[in-house]
Amino acid sequence: MLTVHSTLPADSFSLSFSQNMTNNLFQNRFAERDQLSNLSFYMDKNFSRLSLFAEGKYSYLFENSNLAYYTQDAGLDYIYPIDEKSAFYFSVAGRGIFYRSEYSDFNYLSANFFAAFKSYLSQTSILKSNYSLDYKNYRDSVFDFISHSLMVSFDKYFQTKTTLKGEIDWGYKYFFSPYVYDEVLTAETNTNSMGGKGKGNAHGSYQYVYQTKSQADGQGIQVFSLSGWIAQGLGNKIGLRFSGMRQWVLSGQNPFFFIEEFYMVENPSYDRFSWEGYQLGSQLTLLLPWNIQLKLGYTMANKEFPGIENLDLEGNPLGIIRKDKRKQIEVTTEKSFPRFSVFVSYFYVQNSSNDLYFDWNGHYFSVGIEWNIPLGAKQ
Amino acid sequence: MKRKADVILLMILLLVSLPSFGQKTGHFYNVDQEIRIEGKIQKIVMEPRYKDNSPFLIVTLEEKDTKKLYTVEISPVGFFDQDFHKGEHLIVTGSLTSSGEKEMNIIAREVQSKGETFILRDKHGFPTWRGGKGLMGRKGKRKGKRF
Repeated sequence: MLTVHSTLPADSFSLSFSQNMTNNLFQNRFAERDQLSNLSFYMDKNFSRLSLFAEGKYSYLFENSNLAYYTQDAGLDYIYPIDEKSAFYFSVAGRGIFYRSEYSDFNYLSANFFAAFKSYLSQTSILKSNYSLDYKNYRDSVFDFISHSLMVSFDKYFQTKTTLKGEIDWGYKYFFSPYVYDEVLTAETNTNSMGGKGKGNAHGSYQYVYQTKSQADGQGIQVFSLSGWIAQGLGNKIGLRFSGMRQWVLSGQNPFFFIEEFYMVENPSYDRFSWEGYQLGSQLTLLLPWNIQLKLGYTMANKEFPGIENLDLEGNPLGIIRKDKRKQIEVTTEKSFPRFSVFVSYFYVQNSSNDLYFDWNGHYFSVGIEWNIPLGAKQ
Repeated sequence: MKRKADVILLMILLLVSLPSFGQKTGHFYNVDQEIRIEGKIQKIVMEPRYKDNSPFLIVTLEEKDTKKLYTVEISPVGFFDQDFHKGEHLIVTGSLTSSGEKEMNIIAREVQSKGETFILRDKHGFPTWRGGKGLMGRKGKRKGKRF
């Protein structure tokens, strides 16, 4: 065949499965056990310098099967070299998430544009920058938003096997219409002390509900952060890293009165735009015998949520801003075989909050396998 | 008649050789030529390797014991995924595609650095790196890290 010298560098297809177990699915003081199974595929196909990729994932919850969901991503990317030390990377991607009945308000379609630049200023220092544009259109339009993120980082490697890195991030998120209109108010509607209105929260229940504020509270949130880390190689098979990050909300605040975060579920009102504070972390990576990779990590965070008022366990506002302190321990091990890789991970999270509902801790255990199936040219 | 046959033969040879334009002879992953080396990075560049395709991250490695220089092909997206620096220690497993020259060329299958392992190809040499999603943090999601 004439195609024996195919110029395609990679056409890959992989299947992965993971089983996740937790004793606190909804991450609040009323801990609820569940198991979550993820089955996903990933594929990409290269056409010249353009690469098309697609990924689908089905997640099934055993105890809360009405929260099962499917995620589909698809997109294309392109690398544009400037010279032998610098290049641009561009990608355009779309995503759809489809939850079953309990979470169907969170079904969304989204579009993302991502541009990155990387340049070796010298053989030991790297300048990186990227910009990301996200648009998400939810089934319940109160969550619809567009966001912009810009990042610039610089790192320097020293002959002592030490790497220093500094990073600046800026982000802006704009909710198009985070207000509940009269026609969607239901029997569970509350009027709160700040004069806003919306669906009442359901402390003690797993069902996601939300409250929104009056229009005067604004729709845009602007955040800025500084972060850095120092990494040290210890011998040839051990890496140690200490990191720190400080984030400020420059303008705006969360338009929702009540936010929650659930294990493995993306929440539009609880993301990097919802808090200010700091985070410190440390990570040890080791290469063990038989090429087993082990990661040990510890992270602590101190976060304040502008615009999010504390509620008592009956859902009454207490007039103070929610503050959380979180400690997290992580142990992850991974082993790669010729055609597949397996991993086991464990996380312990302890979240102390001045809102008693969010004073919680949880254990998270995952085990998974990823199987790579070659489709393209070997070269 | 013979002249016509010569022209057809010439065209066939031309067609066969076109797709391999830009590649060195024998430039493919040969499992029988697999080696494992350890050394320090001497140079990092992004360089075209295959016609009409994205350039590859190429690392020049000085072998620890013999001080020989190896040119190691990482991957196209590797330029953005991995932040290697001159002086860093790497352990590379891959296929030797040329020898006897001043620098020997290796197509990398697995790279180890700072306690981490990067799998670039399966044991038969089929690429396993991924496109754009690799830059968007998907690895963390896969391991259930969303708190």
